[in-house]
Amino acid sequence: MTRDQLQAALLEALTGIAPEIDPAAIEPTKLLRDQVDLDSADWLNFLVAVHGKLGIDIPDADVGKLTTLAKLVDYCERRQ
Amino acid sequence: MAERAAQMRKVIASAMARSKREIPHYYLAEDVPLTAATAWLTQANAARPLPDRLLLAPLLLKAVAAALRRYPEFNGYCRDEVFSPSEAIHLGVAISLRAGGLVTPALMDVGRKDIDTVNRELLDLVRRARAGSLRSAELSSGTITVTSLGDQGVAAVYGVIYPPQVALVGFGRVTERPWASDGGLRVAPVLTATLAADHRVSDGHRGGLFLAAIRDLLQNPAELTQAPT
Repeated sequence: MTRDQLQAALLEALTGIAPEIDPAAIEPTKLLRDQVDLDSADWLNFLVAVHGKLGIDIPDADVGKLTTLAKLVDYCERRQ
Repeated sequence: MAERAAQMRKVIASAMARSKREIPHYYLAEDVPLTAATAWLTQANAARPLPDRLLLAPLLLKAVAAALRRYPEFNGYCRDEVFSPSEAIHLGVAISLRAGGLVTPALMDVGRKDIDTVNRELLDLVRRARAGSLRSAELSSGTITVTSLGDQGVAAVYGVIYPPQVALVGFGRVTERPWASDGGLRVAPVLTATLAADHRVSDGHRGGLFLAAIRDLLQNPAELTQAPT
């Protein structure tokens, strides 16, 4: 997948668990948690959806580093 | 959407106004060190693929359910000044909705389920609460409510009891704090657990023991996650 395709898949996973957000309004380099009100259960549901869509497992130790959409795209690009 | 939010606000206003009018609340707080719980969780999650990964919340819920077995006066309904304890332990879980308002669907029989089941059901409840697809039976089955505003960053939450329930347990944010124990000082992850309870049914002494039981149960997470209660 290209970076654009990865970003589109990640945003689709995000709107799946937070239907009221506007994916076009997400700024890739800003902290995701500051832009979308996600609690820890939402966050895990989001990562599980990413895992389902892209088949990428994210070890627990890496989860805390993935704070922005751009970092998620980078990570998925390396791991796909 | 706006109409639905306005309707929900009315329902919450009615229930909470009734609660504060009729229920003589008392409030208690207890700091809970989570060194053992977070270490257990980190170790458990290291070997788990994403879909099986555990949150802290199910551990907290298991501790509440186990403590309620010992202190049944916090689990049940008070109607017409008469308290009926509930044999079943259904934990109403407060979930705030981004469009406004909150719902408290119940996780049924938490004590009898293992940690993986509670975790899976909690994730499912949150997902369905966001999607607006909760069943009405789930919304009215809680025998006590548990609220955790920790994710949003508050240190402690003092709740309003959801009538006819008689208690509400609150969990604040987990923070690293200086923690003195066994004559030494160390840094530990700690959260503040609170209890709002109905003075018509219980007293502060028992409430304190109930919170202490939750604290103690969380010091032995391996046992807590296995044992049916």
